[in-house]
Amino acid sequence: MKCEQIAELLPDYLQQALRPDQNKLVEQHLAACADCTEVVALWKKLATLPDEQPSTASRERFDAMLHAWQSGRAENLAAGKRPSLGSIFDWLRSPVGAVAWSIALLALGAYIGLQLGGTKASSQDLAAMHTELAGMRQLVALSMLQQESASQRLEGVSWTRREDRLDPQVLSALKHTLRYDPSVDVRLAALDALSRHAAQPQVRSSVFDALQEQQSPLVQVALIDQLVEWRDPQAAQHLEKLRQSPNLNPAVRQRADWAISKLN
Amino acid sequence: MLQVRDGAGETLGVLFDRYQAPLLNFYCKLTGDRGLSEDLVQEVFLRILRHRQTYRAGTPFRAWIYQIARNARIDHFRKTRPHLPFEPEMAPTVHEADPAQQQQESELLHRALMQLPEEKRELLILCRFQELRYDEVARLVGCGVSTVKVRIHRALRELREAFHQLQAAPADFPQRGGPQNFPPRRLGHEV
Repeated sequence: MKCEQIAELLPDYLQQALRPDQNKLVEQHLAACADCTEVVALWKKLATLPDEQPSTASRERFDAMLHAWQSGRAENLAAGKRPSLGSIFDWLRSPVGAVAWSIALLALGAYIGLQLGGTKASSQDLAAMHTELAGMRQLVALSMLQQESASQRLEGVSWTRREDRLDPQVLSALKHTLRYDPSVDVRLAALDALSRHAAQPQVRSSVFDALQEQQSPLVQVALIDQLVEWRDPQAAQHLEKLRQSPNLNPAVRQRADWAISKLN
Repeated sequence: MLQVRDGAGETLGVLFDRYQAPLLNFYCKLTGDRGLSEDLVQEVFLRILRHRQTYRAGTPFRAWIYQIARNARIDHFRKTRPHLPFEPEMAPTVHEADPAQQQQESELLHRALMQLPEEKRELLILCRFQELRYDEVARLVGCGVSTVKVRIHRALRELREAFHQLQAAPADFPQRGGPQNFPPRRLGHEV
């Protein structure tokens, strides 16, 4: 048998997945072919490479992460279950739903107008319509961020993600949500939305502020992770300040230590 | 894993004990960077917690966790440009019982492995060190089983060439050639 034919069987031979007759064929070939024998020897030799052993610090980091997660979960349960979305019809009747409908109708009307009018809209008209739609989206986001229902506030946060650049009013609302929203889920969502706009200078400062004020370990860990991801030169000093907090959750302190070591 | 999915976070500790060493070795052999590997192992378990609801009963957990591990690494590459991952201290440690020649061979083999393109290196690591079957690897990387077998065969031949070259010129350790890293294609569900 030639090497090309053996090549089809060799991978299965290496994982001992061949039938006995096929196995015999390969071994007969190997007895006569130094080239293929060397490949097999290399495969076996790979197994002799030593394994890395996990450090004890690895388990400690994992325990800290798990502890932070469980603390956050307990906090969520204590705060009660997140209210359900409710029926679609209820939402459509709400003021927020009405604004959303307005946007949809405005867009639909503009589209039909353009199609039936038979004339091409000027770029100025299109730009004006685009601006108007963006304004409406911001209005929806701002309205929803004010709702009592946490799920509607989450929706509000998700509306802000549709913007390439945050309007100052929306940015301010998101910053407020990150700092003061009673729901951990909404605060985490606000952090996620803000992190997409890290280029805007106020975003980072809001994360620094929130870091010192948050009480939820889950949000604190998320904020710390965000700072590590940004590698902001000011992050280490804010983390150091957090570490000094007297009642800091041990898991969060450990995460902060880890983050400081990553940033230095 | 079903217990973790349904809210028993403490059960994750059992999975951590079982999988942290295989995952650490997967990442170490793939990246040559122990510190990064330890961070990625933590990231995998954080993702398991965050995405536990996406785990479906009956799905092989081993395949699921390696899918997460691959994606965590791909996302890491997206965020940070790969640096020179091979660290001389990552070369196999000296064991007193090892004869000197065997130790040298082991080091050369490790360096030869690091010189393979990452795609091939990953396949070899998954099949040889993580002991995944070809069909499991095929699902993981999103190709056919026969393609995996062909690639394994090619990777071994390439490894042999790299090993021979290093044997011929071992003096320029450790910078010669260097590993060829690129972010692998992301496949499968988002976890």
